[in-house]
Amino acid sequence: MSEHTGRSHKAQMVLERYQKKLSRQVVGSLVACVHCGNCTDSCHYVLANPGDPTYAPAYKADRIRKLFKKHFDWTGKVFPWWVKAGDVMTDEDLEELKDTVFGKCTNCRRCTFNCPMGVDLATFNRMARCLLVSVGIMPEGVAVVSKDQWEIGNQMGVLKEDYLDTLDWMSEEVSEELDDPAAVIPVDKMDAEIVYTINPREVKYDPRTIADALKIFHAAGENWTMPSEGWDMTNFGLFSGDDDLGGVVARRVYDKVIDLRGKKLVISECGHGYRSTRCEGPNWAKFDIPFEMESSVDTMLRYIREGRIKVDKTKNPDKVTFHDSCNNARSCGLTEPPRELLELVCMDFQEMYPNREDNYCCTGGGGAMSMSEYTPRRLKSAKIKADQLKATGAKTVVTSCHNCVDGLADCIRHYKLGMGVTQLVTLVANALVWDEMPAAPGKPEIPEGVPAEMEPEVALDPDPEEASASEEPPLAGKRIVVADDDPDQVIYLKSVLSDAGAEIIEAADGDETLEACRKELPDMLTLDLEMPGTPTKDVFARLRDELPELRICIVTGRPELRALIYDQDLRRPEGYLDKPITEESLLRNVRKVLETS
Amino acid sequence: MSEFMKVVDGVELPLDEDGFLQEPEMWSEAVAVAFAGDEGVEEMTDEHWKVVNYLREYYLKNKIAPMVRRLCKETGFNVKKIYELFPSGPAKGACKLAGLPKPTGCV
Repeated sequence: MSEHTGRSHKAQMVLERYQKKLSRQVVGSLVACVHCGNCTDSCHYVLANPGDPTYAPAYKADRIRKLFKKHFDWTGKVFPWWVKAGDVMTDEDLEELKDTVFGKCTNCRRCTFNCPMGVDLATFNRMARCLLVSVGIMPEGVAVVSKDQWEIGNQMGVLKEDYLDTLDWMSEEVSEELDDPAAVIPVDKMDAEIVYTINPREVKYDPRTIADALKIFHAAGENWTMPSEGWDMTNFGLFSGDDDLGGVVARRVYDKVIDLRGKKLVISECGHGYRSTRCEGPNWAKFDIPFEMESSVDTMLRYIREGRIKVDKTKNPDKVTFHDSCNNARSCGLTEPPRELLELVCMDFQEMYPNREDNYCCTGGGGAMSMSEYTPRRLKSAKIKADQLKATGAKTVVTSCHNCVDGLADCIRHYKLGMGVTQLVTLVANALVWDEMPAAPGKPEIPEGVPAEMEPEVALDPDPEEASASEEPPLAGKRIVVADDDPDQVIYLKSVLSDAGAEIIEAADGDETLEACRKELPDMLTLDLEMPGTPTKDVFARLRDELPELRICIVTGRPELRALIYDQDLRRPEGYLDKPITEESLLRNVRKVLETS
Repeated sequence: MSEFMKVVDGVELPLDEDGFLQEPEMWSEAVAVAFAGDEGVEEMTDEHWKVVNYLREYYLKNKIAPMVRRLCKETGFNVKKIYELFPSGPAKGACKLAGLPKPTGCV
């Protein structure tokens, strides 16, 4: 107890450290709330507990905000009663704060997206966690896991020999299954294109996802490796709020990639790991990253697009839905690549509503899976997720996050939904076509009797001249409407496609596009998503209705706009291209659309 | 009786909020049988016992759940088989039946 203030030692320490944490970002969120209430219905805890105001985001925020008002903001000194200034005096007060910041919020940031003032509750909720952790007040699970990450170097206390033994084991299983002694995991290989890092859950409890990744890298002929150390890309610093832990854990991963002179760090499907390693880690570690980083979702999608792996979606026939991890979707914008991948490897993909950055938390986020004391609350609030899952009618929910896998599994079990949970890596590995690997060039054969939509994705020769040196150009006789309001883009598309033998019809806005398609009845349309005139989503809908045979390839520099197309209950576009477009990717995709759909 | 309590052979066993045994030393074979139904295990076969017994043995010695690698090596089952035996997986299913505390971390 401090003699001057009457506060407990811990309470005094929390206040002293509070001031040091007041960055512009935190202060902006602390002062901006106008208590309008827009956030209230955005929170899954509130929706599942309608009678309990203590779950409301603004209420939770005020538990932290009151200290700011009391001690650091002038308004709290002038009219404390009006701005609800308040204090913490005892360890019990801190315990109460713990119950709110760890037990009533998963830092999912859904309220932030519904806040007109841009208040980022998760940012200062995480700060409050940090203050409590600094005086030793935290759920036991968070303490245990943080200790393992500090001391053993991964969050599940996996020893190096056990980790390496498990990788060997997966190498044995896969090389045996494929009858290919080269299908093994290269460990600590120098100068690899890709260094692959994982969640310890994979190695400790379910290494099948490691075997799946091995199959995909092997099929792609990738020069890859897994590091013997610094392989845990998860980071409890994000959950505990401890930036020092966050920095140390992230730095271990970065340092190993540098030691191995790896070109790119690929992060397996884990929402908080991706956010921590790719987005937050460089700031926590105060470190400039000299290599590229990406999610394995992007890697897998690239392999298919580049024809490095072939997949047959008929191998995944069941109806699936997709759950967006909060960290992936709301904090990192990773919303479209998983959907594109699902379209390529599954027969029947059904959106869940709401989705993308508006999706609800699996309820196990923010480290909640490791805090048993709050499990009953977590499962009660999972009612919202359960309703969402049930409405899809899917047999399986796919997610790109290991934490969500367990959060969803608990939810499914508790509400007896009878659904399975899986990840993209497993679906992609399952859909791999092993005969005729991409090394063999030439036009691939498409099995007969398979309806257009079921046809397998095929690798196409990127060089049209080589494919048909002595014959007519690859797009001869094809008529394509090129719709784009940027004249330079039209000239570029036109020149590449005409050179390949296609006849091009130009359109510069939505109305011209509709007219050209109706009049010319082309084989295909390349459609820019941002054009004047009739909005592109309506152009797409009308053409699907009027000209169901027309094949459409979306071309856009703003991938987030694809939601406009996907959210409609219509057959998906046959192809999509991100700007800037290369000649190779344009020809490959146009040929793919024309020849396989 | 509290929600976090299980009665086996007339003995009240305290559980944590995730349904794991609070005190691993209170475990008995009857406890494993009592948990089995909740974890999707219809009947405890010799194969189930092989897994459960190894988990207990390893835990009592090391105070931590073993890697699934060790579990598979020791029992001769592959991962797929473990998931077939225990539909809720080695961490949340098999460990619970064996009376281990809830595994730590993102599970």
